[in-house]
Amino acid sequence: MSLSVKQLLDNKGIQAKPEHLETLESRWKGMQKLRGTLEGVKIEDADIGLRNIPGGDHIG
Amino acid sequence: MAKELIQKSVEELAPLLKDGSLSPVELTNAVLDHAEETQHTINAYMTIYREEAEQSAREAEKEIKNGNYRGMYHGIPMALKDNLYFKGKVTTMSSKIHKDFIPEDDATVVSKLRDAGVIFTGKLSMHEYAWGITNNNPHYGAVRNPWNTDMIPGGSSGGSGAAVSVGSSVASLGTDTAGSIRIPSSICGIVGLKPTHGRVSKYGCYPLAWSLDHIGPMTKTIKDAAGMMDIISGYDEKDPTSINTPVDQYLEKVKGDVKGLVIGVNEEYFFNEVDNEVDQVVRGNIKALTDQGARVEVVKIPTLKYAEWAELVTSLSEASTIHHEDMLKRPQDFGDDIRMLFELGELPSAVDYLQAQQVRRQLKQEFEEVFQKVDVLIAPTLPVVASKIGEDTVELNGNQVDLIDNIIRFTGPGNLTGLPALSVPGGFKGDLPVGVQIIGPDFSEALLLDVGYAIEQTNPMKNRKPPLLLKA
Repeated sequence: MSLSVKQLLDNKGIQAKPEHLETLESRWKGMQKLRGTLEGVKIEDADIGLRNIPGGDHIG
Repeated sequence: MAKELIQKSVEELAPLLKDGSLSPVELTNAVLDHAEETQHTINAYMTIYREEAEQSAREAEKEIKNGNYRGMYHGIPMALKDNLYFKGKVTTMSSKIHKDFIPEDDATVVSKLRDAGVIFTGKLSMHEYAWGITNNNPHYGAVRNPWNTDMIPGGSSGGSGAAVSVGSSVASLGTDTAGSIRIPSSICGIVGLKPTHGRVSKYGCYPLAWSLDHIGPMTKTIKDAAGMMDIISGYDEKDPTSINTPVDQYLEKVKGDVKGLVIGVNEEYFFNEVDNEVDQVVRGNIKALTDQGARVEVVKIPTLKYAEWAELVTSLSEASTIHHEDMLKRPQDFGDDIRMLFELGELPSAVDYLQAQQVRRQLKQEFEEVFQKVDVLIAPTLPVVASKIGEDTVELNGNQVDLIDNIIRFTGPGNLTGLPALSVPGGFKGDLPVGVQIIGPDFSEALLLDVGYAIEQTNPMKNRKPPLLLKA
């Protein structure tokens, strides 16, 4: 079962504007197309590079 | 005299201010008058600080007369994008929700420019919350392009681009999350530099997407940008993404010597689906550099094919996180275009977001490998020129294509990787400017400015100025 964009947003408490739904569906599908299969990207072992800084970061 | 003054760059004005032949008061009044005169046609300003600017100009005049000249930007009138905090001043992000927001502190870039003697003439319009590229703002009206007022100035720093181009701010700052410094710079025919992520403090800048946001100069000339980088660069403990690494001498290193420079050209991504005339302009500038002793090497960056997806997922997710509470409580207070983007940004999963970060990591590694072989990459800043205000599509070689998807295609990789990227005017398509983008390794801003200066010296703009500037 795949949820519609409206259902996905409803589940998060976001009231999508009704006039937006068609464009949102289309844009979301467009993004899936851009993603493709991620062939060639080392999804399993590529480190995303976020660092955990011992003692916290340097915000004053 | 006022007409000549507003056309001048910082590098032209600074010696006059320094030796006393020009008063900061006269210059500031000329810029303020022009800002007021062009407001009804260009709409670049959110607020004009007339009284404060005049007061600051009088103080600068006194200081310079007393021999306390602080440097290139002392006495220069300048307005900034309205997402940069001024202590005690309304900072709106050109939004309805933040229309009365008053920050408790200056942004670090604001305090650095203030210390350098800059005279603040006001705050400049932007795409609402920086989340768009047209500057067609539903709350404060559209900003118009000084080269053709039917056209967009680009965004999100469209007020900055238009104001510098038309001379209502001698220079400015922009912010760039997917291209928002480089896009309006390209479209308005000015210089725009997105520095390396961590080079310029973001403290006191309202975020759009934390991991992609940058602040940088938008100026009339390369030397103006270099002089501003000398002021605003450096480590700031208030910004957790700031990097503590030595700062270059940017202005001092601008020589325009490209002999022996190796230019990387990536055909598959950066020259794919480009307006034919834009393509010719950019290749013409590369040729001009090779005529001066540079050489070209073709390079491949395979992961660029996922760059658009990674940029969209990252920027949408981060921006929707920032505005999530207001989307739950008062979505009707956002402009329609950005409300839809905030809705869209609620859709990607955590897996999507983290995979996009893996794409970024791999992309950065591939760029680093390329920079073992070449000094810089050169590409079009945008595949197109300015579109008409109010249109969602833009013409590309006879086809109408989606505006936002296309306009961020070549700028987004700089944000994903954090690499520095410069847009320098390279020529025209008809009456509309075309930008050339130069991308380099981390912290290579001085090199990018030097290459940009070599382009600038060939006079690709043929001394043309926006019609509204000439009418002043």
